[in-house]
Amino acid sequence: MRKYEVSDSQLISLYKNGNEDAFTELVTRHKNRIFTTIYMIVKDHDLAEDILQETYVKVVNTIKSGRYNEEGKFLPWVTRIAHNLSIDHFRKAKRYPTIVLEDGSNVFNSLKFSEDSIEDRQIKEDTHTLLRELIQELPDSQREVLMMRHYMEMSFQEIAEVTDVSINTALGRMRYALINLRKRMDKLNVAYDKNLYPE
Amino acid sequence: MIKTFTQNDLIRYVYQETLEEENIEIDTAAIFDEALADELHALKRTMSALDTVERIPSFKSIDKILSYSKSYDLHSPK
Repeated sequence: MRKYEVSDSQLISLYKNGNEDAFTELVTRHKNRIFTTIYMIVKDHDLAEDILQETYVKVVNTIKSGRYNEEGKFLPWVTRIAHNLSIDHFRKAKRYPTIVLEDGSNVFNSLKFSEDSIEDRQIKEDTHTLLRELIQELPDSQREVLMMRHYMEMSFQEIAEVTDVSINTALGRMRYALINLRKRMDKLNVAYDKNLYPE
Repeated sequence: MIKTFTQNDLIRYVYQETLEEENIEIDTAAIFDEALADELHALKRTMSALDTVERIPSFKSIDKILSYSKSYDLHSPK
């Protein structure tokens, strides 16, 4: 888990007392992980943006109205809201099918690599797309644990409780998820490009 | 004697869920056990790859979220 000088729960306390800067820090700290979780489900950049906003509307309403439960951790709570909203949209989309164009809005990902050439950026984006596909291809039980641990930052104990398995089973699923990913990345020769993943 | 570790121990280690004492044991063992060091290195590289697939939301979305929070009192039910 990432370590911060000011914990999430301290930031929430400040936010409850009207400190909007604390909320800005909370949003900035977790935006990519939450957005990635949403994107992995809906696979559409614009829709993921909408769901991210919807998620935080619920977060703001809950905290500001004094209904936030201090017992849980912030990130797993927010990602659970995001996850549920994403599934809702996914179900609606299946009921009312629409034509979705291939996502072309990668400008914000590109900004991250602004020092690279257009060709380098394209290679990286292609690699990231491939990796996302490899994650999607994992067996459900492995992908679920990987998403919860890596992106939602839940502990293995919490994952075991939520998925109703032993902690060793949760660890085993994570291990197989990483092994499977590594094998597929090796096979496709994408994992060990030192420019992409420095030692 | 160098202690042996299960694969699950290594997963807990790379996700920083091991105790300080276990960290020292694993770090020490990895100095003498090349296979263990390679395994840890491979796990960490796979994890790094996972970090790179993170998507980044637009500044516009973040601005809207922050604005909603700041104007909450204006639109919240009393």
